[in-house]
Amino acid sequence: MKGPGSALLLVLLIGCSAPRPQPRTDLNGLLRQAGSRRDPALSQRWLVSLTERGGRERVELIDLRSRQPVPLPGLNRADGQPIDVAISADGERLAVVEQRQGRTDLLLYRRRQAAVQRVPIDPPGVPRAVSLDAEGKRLAVQVSRDGRWQVDLIRLP
Amino acid sequence: MISSCSGRNERSAGSLPNRSQEDPAISGDGRLLAVISERRGRPSVQLRDVRDGRILPLDQLNRHQPHSSPSLSWNGRYLALITQRGQRRLAVVADRLTGRLHPLPLPGGRDPVKLSLAPDGRQLALQVADQGQWRVELLDLSAMLEPDRPGGAQTTTPAAEARP
Repeated sequence: MKGPGSALLLVLLIGCSAPRPQPRTDLNGLLRQAGSRRDPALSQRWLVSLTERGGRERVELIDLRSRQPVPLPGLNRADGQPIDVAISADGERLAVVEQRQGRTDLLLYRRRQAAVQRVPIDPPGVPRAVSLDAEGKRLAVQVSRDGRWQVDLIRLP
Repeated sequence: MISSCSGRNERSAGSLPNRSQEDPAISGDGRLLAVISERRGRPSVQLRDVRDGRILPLDQLNRHQPHSSPSLSWNGRYLALITQRGQRRLAVVADRLTGRLHPLPLPGGRDPVKLSLAPDGRQLALQVADQGQWRVELLDLSAMLEPDRPGGAQTTTPAAEARP
Protein backbone atom coordinates (compact mmCIF):
# COMPACT_ATOMS: atom_id res chain seq x y z
CA MET A 1 0.00 0.00 0.00
CA LYS A 2 1.30 3.44 -0.97
CA GLY A 3 0.26 7.07 -0.74
CA PRO A 4 -2.18 8.61 1.73
CA GLY A 5 -3.59 5.19 2.66
CA SER A 6 -0.27 3.94 4.07
CA ALA A 7 0.29 7.22 5.91
CA LEU A 8 -3.14 6.88 7.51
CA LEU A 9 -2.41 3.26 8.45
CA LEU A 10 0.90 4.36 10.01
CA VAL A 11 -0.87 7.04 12.05
CA LEU A 12 -3.47 4.53 13.17
CA LEU A 13 -0.78 2.00 14.14
CA ILE A 14 1.15 4.59 16.14
CA GLY A 15 -2.09 5.76 17.69
CA CYS A 16 -2.88 2.21 18.78
CA SER A 17 0.56 1.35 20.17
CA ALA A 18 1.15 1.26 23.90
CA PRO A 19 1.19 4.61 25.66
CA ARG A 20 4.71 5.84 26.35
CA PRO A 21 6.22 7.69 29.30
CA GLN A 22 6.26 11.44 28.78
CA PRO A 23 9.12 13.65 30.00
CA ARG A 24 7.86 16.38 32.37
CA THR A 25 9.42 19.13 30.27
CA ASP A 26 7.82 21.80 32.50
CA LEU A 27 9.85 20.59 35.48
CA ASN A 28 12.94 19.09 33.84
CA GLY A 29 14.18 22.56 32.83
CA LEU A 30 14.07 23.65 36.48
CA LEU A 31 15.82 20.45 37.59
CA ARG A 32 18.64 21.11 35.12
CA GLN A 33 19.52 24.45 36.73
CA ALA A 34 21.52 23.03 39.66
CA GLY A 35 25.18 22.05 39.21
CA SER A 36 24.59 18.35 39.70
CA ARG A 37 21.64 16.45 41.14
CA ARG A 38 21.48 12.82 42.27
CA ASP A 39 19.65 10.29 44.47
CA PRO A 40 16.07 11.40 43.77
CA ALA A 41 13.20 10.39 46.06
CA LEU A 42 9.69 11.16 44.91
CA SER A 43 6.38 11.52 46.72
CA GLN A 44 3.16 12.76 45.15
CA ARG A 45 3.94 16.44 45.45
CA TRP A 46 7.57 16.52 46.52
CA LEU A 47 10.93 15.69 45.00
CA VAL A 48 13.95 15.50 47.27
CA SER A 49 17.47 15.00 45.95
CA LEU A 50 21.13 15.69 46.71
CA THR A 51 22.04 18.81 44.82
CA GLU A 52 25.35 20.52 44.32
CA ARG A 53 25.37 24.27 44.81
CA GLY A 54 28.48 26.36 45.35
CA GLY A 55 30.76 23.33 45.36
CA ARG A 56 28.98 21.33 48.06
CA GLU A 57 26.11 18.90 48.11
CA ARG A 58 22.98 19.51 50.13
CA VAL A 59 19.53 18.03 50.54
CA GLU A 60 17.10 19.99 48.37
CA LEU A 61 13.32 19.66 48.49
CA ILE A 62 11.22 20.86 45.57
CA ASP A 63 7.47 21.43 45.69
CA LEU A 64 6.39 20.05 42.31
CA ARG A 65 3.14 22.00 42.47
CA SER A 66 4.68 25.45 42.92
CA ARG A 67 7.94 24.38 41.20
CA GLN A 68 9.90 26.03 43.98
CA PRO A 69 12.63 24.76 46.32
CA VAL A 70 11.40 24.62 49.92
CA PRO A 71 13.67 25.70 52.82
CA LEU A 72 14.86 22.96 55.19
CA PRO A 73 16.10 24.97 58.19
CA GLY A 74 18.60 23.14 60.37
CA LEU A 75 19.10 20.15 58.07
CA ASN A 76 22.04 21.08 55.82
CA ARG A 77 25.12 21.78 57.89
CA ALA A 78 28.31 23.29 56.51
CA ASP A 79 30.48 20.32 57.54
CA GLY A 80 27.96 17.61 56.65
CA GLN A 81 28.00 15.46 53.50
CA PRO A 82 24.63 13.87 52.66
CA ILE A 83 24.87 10.31 51.33
CA ASP A 84 21.22 9.39 50.68
CA VAL A 85 17.74 10.76 51.34
CA ALA A 86 14.14 9.49 51.49
CA ILE A 87 10.78 11.24 51.97
CA SER A 88 7.32 10.43 53.36
CA ALA A 89 4.28 10.78 51.08
CA ASP A 90 3.16 14.09 52.60
CA GLY A 91 6.68 15.53 52.43
CA GLU A 92 6.70 16.08 56.19
CA ARG A 93 9.44 13.58 57.15
CA LEU A 94 12.84 13.16 55.55
CA ALA A 95 15.33 10.40 56.36
CA VAL A 96 18.92 11.36 55.61
CA VAL A 97 22.21 9.47 55.79
CA GLU A 98 24.88 12.06 56.58
CA GLN A 99 28.63 11.90 56.95
CA ARG A 100 30.03 14.45 59.38
CA GLN A 101 33.18 14.72 61.46
CA GLY A 102 34.31 11.21 60.58
CA ARG A 103 31.07 9.41 61.38
CA THR A 104 28.01 8.43 59.38
CA ASP A 105 24.58 8.92 60.95
CA LEU A 106 21.00 8.13 60.08
CA LEU A 107 18.89 11.24 60.69
CA LEU A 108 15.16 11.91 60.78
CA TYR A 109 14.08 15.45 59.90
CA ARG A 110 10.58 16.72 60.68
CA ARG A 111 9.76 19.78 58.61
CA ARG A 112 7.05 21.22 60.83
CA GLN A 113 9.34 21.36 63.85
CA ALA A 114 12.50 21.91 61.76
CA ALA A 115 13.96 19.24 64.06
CA VAL A 116 16.79 16.82 63.29
CA GLN A 117 16.93 13.58 65.30
CA ARG A 118 19.57 10.90 65.16
CA VAL A 119 18.10 7.41 64.66
CA PRO A 120 20.18 4.82 66.53
CA ILE A 121 21.31 1.74 64.60
CA ASP A 122 21.35 -1.33 66.80
CA PRO A 123 23.48 -3.42 66.64
CA PRO A 124 25.84 -0.69 65.48
CA GLY A 125 26.68 -0.38 61.79
CA VAL A 126 27.35 2.23 59.12
CA PRO A 127 24.21 3.31 57.22
CA ARG A 128 24.26 3.82 53.44
CA ALA A 129 20.89 3.78 51.62
CA VAL A 130 17.51 4.60 53.15
CA SER A 131 13.81 4.25 52.27
CA LEU A 132 10.68 5.52 54.09
CA ASP A 133 7.09 4.32 53.90
CA ALA A 134 4.29 6.79 53.09
CA GLU A 135 3.66 7.76 56.72
CA GLY A 136 7.36 8.14 57.43
CA LYS A 137 7.01 5.72 60.35
CA ARG A 138 8.72 2.68 58.90
CA LEU A 139 12.23 2.98 57.64
CA ALA A 140 14.43 0.49 55.74
CA VAL A 141 18.15 1.18 55.85
CA GLN A 142 21.15 -0.54 54.27
CA VAL A 143 23.81 -0.99 56.94
CA SER A 144 27.42 -2.14 56.70
CA ARG A 145 27.89 -4.62 59.52
CA ASP A 146 30.30 -7.55 60.02
CA GLY A 147 31.84 -6.91 56.62
CA ARG A 148 28.66 -7.13 54.55
CA TRP A 149 25.54 -5.15 53.68
CA GLN A 150 22.42 -5.86 55.66
CA VAL A 151 18.96 -4.25 55.66
CA ASP A 152 17.36 -3.15 58.93
CA LEU A 153 13.72 -2.21 59.38
CA ILE A 154 13.13 0.49 61.98
CA ARG A 155 9.80 1.63 63.39
CA LEU A 156 9.78 5.32 64.22
CA PRO A 157 7.58 7.04 66.81
CA MET B 1 21.04 20.83 67.69
CA ILE B 2 20.46 17.12 67.15
CA SER B 3 18.44 15.03 69.55
CA SER B 4 18.22 11.26 69.54
CA CYS B 5 15.11 9.39 68.54
CA SER B 6 14.36 5.93 69.84
CA GLY B 7 13.30 3.78 66.93
CA ARG B 8 12.70 0.05 67.20
CA ASN B 9 15.14 -1.96 65.12
CA GLU B 10 14.44 -5.32 63.58
CA ARG B 11 16.53 -7.23 61.07
CA SER B 12 14.49 -7.59 57.92
CA ALA B 13 12.32 -10.67 58.23
CA GLY B 14 13.10 -13.65 56.04
CA SER B 15 16.61 -12.50 55.29
CA LEU B 16 19.41 -15.00 55.00
CA PRO B 17 21.98 -13.89 57.56
CA ASN B 18 25.00 -14.61 55.37
CA ARG B 19 23.69 -13.00 52.20
CA SER B 20 24.40 -9.38 51.34
CA GLN B 21 21.36 -7.11 50.87
CA GLU B 22 21.43 -3.64 49.34
CA ASP B 23 19.22 -0.84 47.98
CA PRO B 24 16.17 -1.30 50.25
CA ALA B 25 12.80 0.05 49.11
CA ILE B 26 9.71 -0.07 51.30
CA SER B 27 6.18 0.17 49.89
CA GLY B 28 4.00 3.15 50.82
CA ASP B 29 1.88 1.02 53.17
CA GLY B 30 5.05 -0.35 54.80
CA ARG B 31 4.08 -3.99 54.10
CA LEU B 32 6.54 -4.91 51.35
CA LEU B 33 10.29 -4.60 51.18
CA ALA B 34 12.37 -4.91 48.00
CA VAL B 35 16.13 -5.42 48.24
CA ILE B 36 18.93 -6.30 45.83
CA SER B 37 20.52 -9.60 46.76
CA GLU B 38 22.87 -12.01 44.96
CA ARG B 39 21.07 -14.88 43.26
CA ARG B 40 23.33 -17.39 41.50
CA GLY B 41 26.03 -14.74 41.58
CA ARG B 42 23.90 -12.02 39.99
CA PRO B 43 22.42 -9.01 41.80
CA SER B 44 18.67 -9.64 41.65
CA VAL B 45 15.65 -7.98 43.15
CA GLN B 46 13.86 -9.83 45.93
CA LEU B 47 10.45 -8.85 47.29
CA ARG B 48 9.27 -9.79 50.78
CA ASP B 49 6.22 -9.35 52.94
CA VAL B 50 7.69 -7.79 56.09
CA ARG B 51 4.93 -9.22 58.31
CA ASP B 52 5.81 -12.89 57.80
CA GLY B 53 9.04 -12.75 55.80
CA ARG B 54 7.42 -14.56 52.88
CA ILE B 55 9.22 -14.07 49.56
CA LEU B 56 6.83 -12.99 46.81
CA PRO B 57 7.23 -14.19 43.21
CA LEU B 58 8.43 -11.75 40.55
CA ASP B 59 8.29 -13.99 37.49
CA GLN B 60 8.62 -11.12 35.02
CA LEU B 61 11.94 -10.13 36.65
CA ASN B 62 13.82 -13.42 36.55
CA ARG B 63 16.13 -12.12 33.82
CA HIS B 64 18.04 -9.02 32.78
CA GLN B 65 20.37 -8.85 35.80
CA PRO B 66 22.10 -7.03 37.34
CA HIS B 67 19.10 -5.32 38.91
CA SER B 68 19.45 -2.10 40.87
CA SER B 69 17.52 0.76 42.47
CA PRO B 70 14.12 -0.83 43.19
CA SER B 71 11.20 1.44 44.12
CA LEU B 72 7.67 0.41 45.17
CA SER B 73 4.28 2.09 44.83
CA TRP B 74 1.74 2.52 47.63
CA ASN B 75 0.44 -1.06 47.92
CA GLY B 76 3.39 -2.54 46.07
CA ARG B 77 1.39 -3.10 42.88
CA TYR B 78 4.21 -1.48 40.90
CA LEU B 79 7.90 -2.24 41.29
CA ALA B 80 10.19 0.02 39.29
CA LEU B 81 13.87 -0.84 38.92
CA ILE B 82 16.86 -0.72 36.58
CA THR B 83 17.74 -3.80 34.52
CA GLN B 84 20.41 -4.74 31.98
CA ARG B 85 19.67 -5.23 28.25
CA GLY B 86 22.86 -6.08 26.37
CA GLN B 87 25.26 -3.20 26.95
CA ARG B 88 22.53 -0.82 28.12
CA ARG B 89 20.73 -0.12 31.38
CA LEU B 90 16.94 0.05 31.10
CA ALA B 91 14.39 1.24 33.65
CA VAL B 92 11.26 -0.93 33.83
CA VAL B 93 8.06 -0.99 35.85
CA ALA B 94 6.65 -4.40 36.78
CA ASP B 95 2.89 -4.45 37.37
CA ARG B 96 2.35 -7.20 39.95
CA LEU B 97 -1.40 -7.13 39.43
CA THR B 98 -1.40 -7.82 35.68
CA GLY B 99 2.02 -9.47 35.34
CA ARG B 100 3.04 -6.94 32.70
CA LEU B 101 6.49 -5.39 32.41
CA HIS B 102 6.65 -1.82 31.08
CA PRO B 103 10.04 -0.79 29.64
CA LEU B 104 10.90 2.90 30.02
CA PRO B 105 13.50 3.76 27.37
CA LEU B 106 15.00 7.21 27.85
CA PRO B 107 15.03 9.81 25.09
CA GLY B 108 18.53 10.20 23.64
CA GLY B 109 19.51 6.62 24.50
CA ARG B 110 20.87 7.56 27.92
CA ASP B 111 21.31 5.05 30.72
CA PRO B 112 19.46 5.46 34.03
CA VAL B 113 21.51 5.23 37.25
CA LYS B 114 18.90 5.49 40.01
CA LEU B 115 15.14 5.90 40.13
CA SER B 116 12.26 6.67 42.45
CA LEU B 117 8.59 5.92 41.76
CA ALA B 118 5.86 8.19 43.16
CA PRO B 119 3.62 6.30 45.64
CA ASP B 120 0.67 6.25 43.19
CA GLY B 121 2.96 5.06 40.37
CA ARG B 122 2.02 7.91 38.03
CA GLN B 123 5.39 9.65 38.01
CA LEU B 124 9.02 8.51 38.04
CA ALA B 125 12.22 10.39 38.89
CA LEU B 126 15.37 9.16 37.14
CA GLN B 127 19.01 9.98 37.75
CA VAL B 128 21.04 10.06 34.52
CA ALA B 129 24.52 11.19 33.50
CA ASP B 130 24.50 14.26 31.27
CA GLN B 131 27.65 16.11 30.14
CA GLY B 132 29.70 14.87 33.05
CA GLN B 133 27.10 15.68 35.71
CA TRP B 134 24.27 13.89 37.43
CA ARG B 135 20.80 15.06 36.44
CA VAL B 136 17.36 14.15 37.69
CA GLU B 137 14.50 13.98 35.21
CA LEU B 138 10.82 13.34 35.77
CA LEU B 139 8.69 11.06 33.61
CA ASP B 140 4.90 11.18 33.55
CA LEU B 141 3.56 7.59 33.53
CA SER B 142 -0.11 8.49 33.94
CA ALA B 143 -0.99 7.42 30.38
CA MET B 144 0.57 3.97 31.03
CA LEU B 145 -0.31 3.04 34.59
CA GLU B 146 -3.46 3.09 36.66
CA PRO B 147 -2.94 4.80 40.02
CA ASP B 148 -2.02 2.59 43.01
CA ARG B 149 -3.88 4.45 45.73
CA PRO B 150 -3.81 4.09 49.51
CA GLY B 151 -6.22 1.51 50.88
CA GLY B 152 -5.44 -1.09 48.26
CA ALA B 153 -8.11 -0.11 45.71
CA GLN B 154 -7.35 -2.02 42.53
CA THR B 155 -9.21 -1.00 39.44
CA THR B 156 -8.12 -3.51 36.82
CA THR B 157 -9.56 -6.95 36.29
CA PRO B 158 -6.33 -8.98 36.39
CA ALA B 159 -7.46 -11.78 34.07
CA ALA B 160 -8.40 -9.37 31.28
CA GLU B 161 -5.19 -7.35 31.57
CA ALA B 162 -2.80 -10.25 31.91
CA ARG B 163 -3.44 -11.56 28.40
CA PRO B 164 -0.90 -10.40 25.84
